[in-house]
Amino acid sequence: MRKYAEIAKAYLKTQLVWRADIIFNMIFTVGRILFAYLLWGTIFEGREQVAGFTFHGMLSYYIINSFLTQLEMSSGISGELSARIRNGTFSKYLVIPVNVEGYFTAMEVGTVVFYLFFDFLAAVVWIFLFGIEFVFVKTFSIILCAGIMILLGLFFMVQLNFFLGILTFQYEEISTFLMIKDNLLALVTGSIIPLTLLPERVVELMRLLPFYYVTYLPSMLLTGNNRQEAVPGIVIMAVWCIVMQLVIHFYWNKYIRKYDGVGI
Amino acid sequence: MRKNFRVIKELVRLRFQNLMMFRLGFFGPFFVDGSLFLVQLLVFDAVYANVDEIGGWQRGEMILYIGTFSLLNAVNMVVYFFGVGGIPDKIKSGEMDLYLTKPVSPLLRLSLESINPGSLPLVVMSLIIIAYGAGSAGVRWNPKLFAGYLFWVLLMLVLYYDLEVLIRSLSFFVVSTAKMQKLEEACISLSMQLPGTVYYGIYKLIFCFLLPYGIMATLPVKYLAGECTLPAALYGIGITVLFSALTALVWKTGIRHYNSVSS
Repeated sequence: MRKYAEIAKAYLKTQLVWRADIIFNMIFTVGRILFAYLLWGTIFEGREQVAGFTFHGMLSYYIINSFLTQLEMSSGISGELSARIRNGTFSKYLVIPVNVEGYFTAMEVGTVVFYLFFDFLAAVVWIFLFGIEFVFVKTFSIILCAGIMILLGLFFMVQLNFFLGILTFQYEEISTFLMIKDNLLALVTGSIIPLTLLPERVVELMRLLPFYYVTYLPSMLLTGNNRQEAVPGIVIMAVWCIVMQLVIHFYWNKYIRKYDGVGI
Repeated sequence: MRKNFRVIKELVRLRFQNLMMFRLGFFGPFFVDGSLFLVQLLVFDAVYANVDEIGGWQRGEMILYIGTFSLLNAVNMVVYFFGVGGIPDKIKSGEMDLYLTKPVSPLLRLSLESINPGSLPLVVMSLIIIAYGAGSAGVRWNPKLFAGYLFWVLLMLVLYYDLEVLIRSLSFFVVSTAKMQKLEEACISLSMQLPGTVYYGIYKLIFCFLLPYGIMATLPVKYLAGECTLPAALYGIGITVLFSALTALVWKTGIRHYNSVSS
């Protein structure tokens, strides 16, 4: 465990090298908030509620969802894996005495811990700048459930991106697929609009998928909605993490034999 | 002029030869951007299931907006995006020397040497979205309406091109324009999701004047919907002329400022 803590620490320190990136990352979180502020500001003119949300409740949802989406930085894992497998430098990860997936998980932990403070700071700044009457749940058990779900969701996304990355062993070029994945994830994780606006049948289907629990449900829970889904949500997310781990184990053993260390 | 056409024809032929070597990636831009605009359609479909109008626009106008933005983006991807996108690297690496020594306009060659026919299906998809949106909005096509819409789309493509070249031309003066390009991405992403009709106050100043991404798909749709007033039309033409002049000025100054390898 100590070696993974060291990897996390190393990546935490690495972030300090790109100081301008930190500031720009913070500034660019405003994109989603501005979108929500302008779109819903127009929609809420002359309306009290839309799909159960008040204007400030809706903006609070976007603030929390944007904060969580910004924390979820694992998409770099699939890109890094894919690039290194293609150019042959993936061998670097095979010769160090760590589990490769564990390495990337530790890397993600180091990065997320670093950005946690700055993303939180950005969220607070936007709340004040846009004059949002921030809606936040006060029940400790719900906050705890949301916290567990967020951790499971972040871990699931690391697993998913690790899995997609190792598909390069088989399919060689996956960058187009990764970009399509990012477009679809923005919808199914509720970062463009709350999923509750979608037809009920679609939402029911999404409840079976893990993406519902990555940022959408935690954001809803923290704004005081969907409380009855808190515990089942944790169970479903945990089951998905186990399933994903089994899938990774199977395909890793199958595909790693294809790697010849000279690039594609 | 005739020489330029011959150069363009040759650039297109070379590009096709190059693309045929990487057949798998050929339709990549279509699938990526196609999924993006389909997501947009689903999003606004969901929003309109809960509200009747957004900023005075009903569902049909919004579909037209998404279709028009998709069309602008698709033509941009086919014709000049990949060429213009390479400008900063060519300035940084000194590769720009090769373009300056050729007997053809460097900007023309840079803009058209990387055309990407892989996005052509996106043009078709955009036209289908526009046709669907026009049907939903009750637009009755006639030659005058079609010509007017085409004029606005072409004019806004010029504006789109101006903004792309302008941002990348800053590479002549600064070490990296990566953050400016991130800002551009953020503005495009926002404007893709929001029509110009929802901007007000400072946001209108930013997205309709300083970085006029907000008017690019809005004006063609306003014209189709019969909402394009004379001041709005003059404003659209004026801002395109202004940005074309600014882009030409920055590009020409940049070329003079360029001091070859790794400037």
